[in-house]
Amino acid sequence: MLETKLYESDIRPDWCPGCGDFGALSAVKNALASLEIEPHNVLISSGIGCASNFPGFIRTYGHHGLHGRPLPVAVGAKLANPSLTVLAIAGDGDEYGIGFNHVVHTARRNHDVKLLVLNNEVYGLTTGQLSPTSVFGQRTKTTPYGSSIYPLNPLSTLLGVGATFVARGFSGQVKQLSELIQAAIKHRGFSIVDILSPCVTWNDIYDNVRSRMYSLDTVSHDRTNLHAALDRSKETEKIPLGIFFQNEDSPSFDELLHKTVNNRFPVNEVKHMTEEEKKVAISIFS
Amino acid sequence: MTDKDITIRLGAAAGDGIQSAGEILTRMLSMSGQYVCTYNGNQSLIRGGHVWFHIHAGNWRVTSLGNGIDYMLALNQIAFDEHIGKINQGGAIIFDPKTVKAGTIPAGVTPIRLPLTEIALKYDKRPLMKNTVGIGALAALLGIDRKEIGEVIQLQFGSKGKQIVEGNVNAALEGYGLAAKSFVPTKSLEFDYSKKRMFTHADFALAAGAVNAGCKFYAAYPMSPASPILHYMAINAEKMGISVLLAEDEIAAMCATIGAAYAGARAMCATSGGGFALMQEALGMAAMNETPIVVVDVMRAGPSTGLPTKTSQGDLNMMLGISQDDFPRVIIAPRNSEETFNTMGRAFNIAEKWQVPVIVLLDFGIGDGGYSTVDNLDFEEPIDRGKLLTEVGDEGTWFKRYELTDDNVSPRVLPGTPNGMFVAKTDEHDEYGHDLSDVEAGLQHAVEKRVEMMNKRMGKLTGIAVEMNLPEVAGPADADVTLVSWGSTSNPIREAMRQLWAEGVKVNSVEFCDLFPLRWKEVAKMLRKARHLIDVESNYTAQMAGLIARETGIMIEDRLLTYSGEPLEPAEVVEKVKNVLKKEIGVSVRNKAL
Repeated sequence: MLETKLYESDIRPDWCPGCGDFGALSAVKNALASLEIEPHNVLISSGIGCASNFPGFIRTYGHHGLHGRPLPVAVGAKLANPSLTVLAIAGDGDEYGIGFNHVVHTARRNHDVKLLVLNNEVYGLTTGQLSPTSVFGQRTKTTPYGSSIYPLNPLSTLLGVGATFVARGFSGQVKQLSELIQAAIKHRGFSIVDILSPCVTWNDIYDNVRSRMYSLDTVSHDRTNLHAALDRSKETEKIPLGIFFQNEDSPSFDELLHKTVNNRFPVNEVKHMTEEEKKVAISIFS
Repeated sequence: MTDKDITIRLGAAAGDGIQSAGEILTRMLSMSGQYVCTYNGNQSLIRGGHVWFHIHAGNWRVTSLGNGIDYMLALNQIAFDEHIGKINQGGAIIFDPKTVKAGTIPAGVTPIRLPLTEIALKYDKRPLMKNTVGIGALAALLGIDRKEIGEVIQLQFGSKGKQIVEGNVNAALEGYGLAAKSFVPTKSLEFDYSKKRMFTHADFALAAGAVNAGCKFYAAYPMSPASPILHYMAINAEKMGISVLLAEDEIAAMCATIGAAYAGARAMCATSGGGFALMQEALGMAAMNETPIVVVDVMRAGPSTGLPTKTSQGDLNMMLGISQDDFPRVIIAPRNSEETFNTMGRAFNIAEKWQVPVIVLLDFGIGDGGYSTVDNLDFEEPIDRGKLLTEVGDEGTWFKRYELTDDNVSPRVLPGTPNGMFVAKTDEHDEYGHDLSDVEAGLQHAVEKRVEMMNKRMGKLTGIAVEMNLPEVAGPADADVTLVSWGSTSNPIREAMRQLWAEGVKVNSVEFCDLFPLRWKEVAKMLRKARHLIDVESNYTAQMAGLIARETGIMIEDRLLTYSGEPLEPAEVVEKVKNVLKKEIGVSVRNKAL
């Protein structure tokens, strides 16, 4: 295991004291140190919002981009340099709202990028509006009488579109979360870890989560069984934590691409075509 | 050698194979030493409707569509009716009297009635080969050697098996024999079978040029008329080692391109105007976090869905203003296929050297919609990756990725490099890529840094402008009329000027390929030399004239504009110049079908 101080930034997170995202930050550092992935080989791609301020609070390469778009940036970077460990870290607004299209298709194509969603079930940085995962009845600035909209279930949805690794963690349980993130990084292809990460200012769900959560490791759950995973993901009374589903038989998009087109990355090889390639390139011109 | 040229048009319904027939004929002409320029009058459908293919070929460097139609092949009634009035004196029209009822045929036009369908049915159960019979007939009118027919059909259909090739060759030869008997050609070409010329459209030329420049990542969502770039990349992905991503939308295509470029690949994406609108937020991102990318807009007529298979130069204003607030961007509009290929190395070099997004503007007319001869492809433009570091010393927690420098370009490092960690930020940031936008926003040092960072990014434009090419002046220095154009509109202008010079008219042109940024004071000097300027472009508001006015204060009020979706023809430029010489000054608008 590497020392976690390797990943220490000199920038103090601007999250509210007690924010769940601190736990997620510790878990990510611990996971990278445990897997001995050096900071310069890690790229964290984020969007916009409290959770997406993540890059810079941890010393790795970072791309702090646009709202909802962490995944396509991550996908491009991973294709260009397969030796990088590429994480997309963002909130529920980013990933389950404006950018959910990308989540569906990145999962479907099984890109080798790891999505960690810091899910606080509310729009935090814009001062507390209803998010796609806000629960029925939740009072927010946009639902002063309580929400009449049922929330998106990200886990069952992603199981439905063919995600090959689906897990849920809780930022109040750093050790277990780190283990989930490690498993996600080691997974062959796309993985999603939905991380319940309470917002102490707009939606403090710490007690609620603690009172309802249980670990899938404590029940006999077969993570290779898609139907069992779907059943667990649909639970509403209790909150299962852990790996719902994992399929390691499907090759990742990146594996298939590198096998079929033999793309010669990384990039110290930017050069003109060979004579042979030139002939191919203009064969269509006559 | 005397200059000789000819125009040919083939018309039919979509699904009749008119595109491949046009290609076969273009190939025959190219393999006989001719320069070619074609236009694909297609519609946004797969079967039915009316589509046509126009070819201008000659032993001189044709750039546009020539004048009218010399020889026409009409495979259905609408093709006959729509184009008969455009056939030149001395020209001919080939049709099958069983499928086409000939109405009034203009004097001086020879009807050639051939049993196209009957011959086709001899070689196949379906009458599809009627276009091949027609090609044979056209080849006879053109006087192409019979031997060429077999060779070219082999090239086109070789992959479909011997039987299909033989059937097509025989069908073509039968058409050739009949046409040769029934018409004495009035116009001829000068063939040189030793000169095999290449031709392509600007979409393919762009893709090939990008790959030669080291582009190894391409992302796109299908959109006409940019899709051939995606097809080219997919076809060549394996042989060239290109990662091709068919993204879920244009937003993803652009963001993945930025991700790949950030990770170090030469990366590109392409679309048309509608897709570019989706890309716009991310274009600003690339400029803000200083990631070098090349983005292509193959323009089609808009607004909104507009005319998906028709041409336009309507997106220049969009490119100048797209995405919020000010940031540096580079805009280049190559004039033809050859120039497009030769531009791509430069486009990637500018992107990497200055760490900015470079926009390449093509249009349907020279892109998917038109072939032209490519003679001089430059494979050797040196690759310049700018200030790209391969190693970094251990100097602290973060790397100063956005360091303030004299030329406003900061040393760049790629993920995977030890000690090089930084955050590529879309928030306003300091030299390390840390936020100036939240806990520091509004503090004195952050306000000062914000101004420095804006100055740094925008300051790049001055340096880039020095490297950009000034417009090319074609024709005599001393001219009564100067035509101003950008991108593809220079093509009809070149052919129009040939005709005008032959008639003794003193006319020249100022043709912009590089559009922005430029050394505008020098541009102004060039334009002030002109006695009378006419702006020629394919949009409603004369967008280039607007840019010139904005940057130089020179307002070109005499204009020839088209926004019909059809490309300008040389004849219209000729007419405009003559009218201006007769003091008929003002804005002229084209509304004729081609």
